[in-house]
Amino acid sequence: MSLDRHDAQRERARRLRLDIERSAPPGRAPEARRPAPSRGDAEAARAALDFLGLLREATRQGSDLPAAVERAAGTLPASARDIARRAARRLRGDYTQDEWGFDEEFAEIVYPVFELMYQRWWRVAAVGVENVPSHGQALLVANHAGVLPWDAAMMSVAILKHHPLPRHPRFMVLDWAFRLPWVSAFMRRIGGVVASPYNAIRLLEQGQLVMVFPEGSKGAGKPYSERYRLQRFGRGGFVELALRTGAPIVPVAVVGSEEIYPKLGESRLLARLTGAPYFPLTPTFPWLGVAGAIPLPSKWRIEFCEPIDLSHYGPDAADDRALIFELSERVRDTIQEAVLQNLVARGSAFL
Amino acid sequence: MGRRVLITGVSGFWGTELARRLERDPEFEYIAGLDVRPPPADLSRTEFIRADIRNPLLSKLLPQTEVDTVVHCDVLLVPEPGKAPSQLHDINVIGSLQLLAACEKTETVRTIVVRGSAAIYGAEPNAPEFFTEDMARRFPLRTRFQRDIGELENYFENFARRFPQVTVMMLRYQPTLGTAIDSPLTRYMRQSVVPTQLGYDPLLQFVHAEDAVSALEASVRRPARGPVNVAGEGSVSLSRLLRLAGRIPLPVPAQLFGAALGAGARIGLARLPPEAVMWLRNGLTVDTGRLIDEVGFRPRSTADAVDDFVAELRGRRALPDRPVEGVGASA
Repeated sequence: MSLDRHDAQRERARRLRLDIERSAPPGRAPEARRPAPSRGDAEAARAALDFLGLLREATRQGSDLPAAVERAAGTLPASARDIARRAARRLRGDYTQDEWGFDEEFAEIVYPVFELMYQRWWRVAAVGVENVPSHGQALLVANHAGVLPWDAAMMSVAILKHHPLPRHPRFMVLDWAFRLPWVSAFMRRIGGVVASPYNAIRLLEQGQLVMVFPEGSKGAGKPYSERYRLQRFGRGGFVELALRTGAPIVPVAVVGSEEIYPKLGESRLLARLTGAPYFPLTPTFPWLGVAGAIPLPSKWRIEFCEPIDLSHYGPDAADDRALIFELSERVRDTIQEAVLQNLVARGSAFL
Repeated sequence: MGRRVLITGVSGFWGTELARRLERDPEFEYIAGLDVRPPPADLSRTEFIRADIRNPLLSKLLPQTEVDTVVHCDVLLVPEPGKAPSQLHDINVIGSLQLLAACEKTETVRTIVVRGSAAIYGAEPNAPEFFTEDMARRFPLRTRFQRDIGELENYFENFARRFPQVTVMMLRYQPTLGTAIDSPLTRYMRQSVVPTQLGYDPLLQFVHAEDAVSALEASVRRPARGPVNVAGEGSVSLSRLLRLAGRIPLPVPAQLFGAALGAGARIGLARLPPEAVMWLRNGLTVDTGRLIDEVGFRPRSTADAVDDFVAELRGRRALPDRPVEGVGASA
């Protein structure tokens, strides 16, 4: 772990906190930043027109689009100018992606959307965020529900928002999602990787925070009546990962995610047609089309439990099946218990 | 005693460049080059053997050269001048078989280095990122070229098993990026409008044009047994690559991409091989640990390869790209 990485982390922490402070009284901050309250809509429209005019001028003179945006941005008000400049820079390809395709700047651009869901939609209460190691490898193991990986997104927000040294966790995504257009590109940019032990080991060896959902699609696709009953933890592959790399396991209990898409049944035919692992039928989906994919506003609690250190077993223990099952069961019990406790602590599901 | 090397496909870009480098080093006392057309004139001490690699006569020729190292560059990833597309399979598979038969007869051979391809891993959506060498053949070999490479690797593996005294090294190359190289990939990247697949943004990995031959040279000097990936560390997404190069992407629905490429080739756009469809959808990245640790060669990263390629591309444009550099760009 290099020093400058620590610095980068601290810098991110500072920036995030600034963001939060800025958006603290929601809706008021952007107004305050506007140069003058007298500036009316007409003026804004004129600025936009000027911008477009200059843009055309510049492209006619032979600059390519990013350069033209850069030049024309001068006419815009300060806040819009920064956005235009950033867009121009990104259009030039002037941004960084790590070897996994993770684009930190992009992740921070979409972060406010997730934060809005976190605060307003699901009113998430996060407990024990400080149990997440602030540096080095760690495996976050959580219960999984909801058809879309909202739980992973909310766990990320919880860490980025409340951890003293926040960092972007990486998460394992069912490979089916990587067959889909847009979804695959989006997931990769915000830190998703194909669920594969090779990927997990490589990420852990790089000192990353890796989120796994051992229930897999069985968890995501369980019916509403089965909510908060953890499914079997696969073959315990995550324990194997932890043993092999020496990474601590942080059990995470997510309460609330299991109500966002109450699955009443499923359609085998549609699953086969779409190639999806299962095709859920909820009160709203697929009857309302895309609108049916809007998650219900349940109330959430996320608890990060104390890390379990397995490094004393040594990497050779990764071949010991019995030990793996035993440890896997232990982690599952921890999460199940924490889920039930938080279920009680949360109270009513939607209010 | 110095080393004696035979290079197949010596008149291609790879063979010529390798011969040129080995010629400079007196440690290589004898260099022979095999091809069907003569190499560029500036190769001074390489002995040119005009022969078709598919010809059984090779078994008589090779023992006479008494070489200790055979570098097999005559593995065609793309059609080259003088070698028609229909011959690719023949040259890659039958040629390799003949070469191995000849190696069997040549008792002096201690090392065989093959320029293979990372295409054997397959560009699949559910593939792990960064394939290590032991992860080949996890996915079906879908295209003709992939199957050829698979077959070729089998032959060399069998040979290595039967003749343990010979070090057989299979280099699995990622695509090479450089303006000096004329390949479907560089032709594709030279177009001002580049077809892509709607909604997909694959992670790609390249070898810097100069490192491509250096890796070959390093392998001749310090061969390792078995397959070794050759690529620049890291990756680049296709969308970012196009933006850096100032290209305009033309997204085509993924199902139509193959057909669009075919149609594009007919009206004069770059022709891409069939494996490019999957490659430009899912991407393919490999781990380069073995090359760095065991061969002791660290190629420039993919990012560097891209930077150099883009700089050269822009340098060759007739019109300056950003005439007002410094006005707004400094912000």
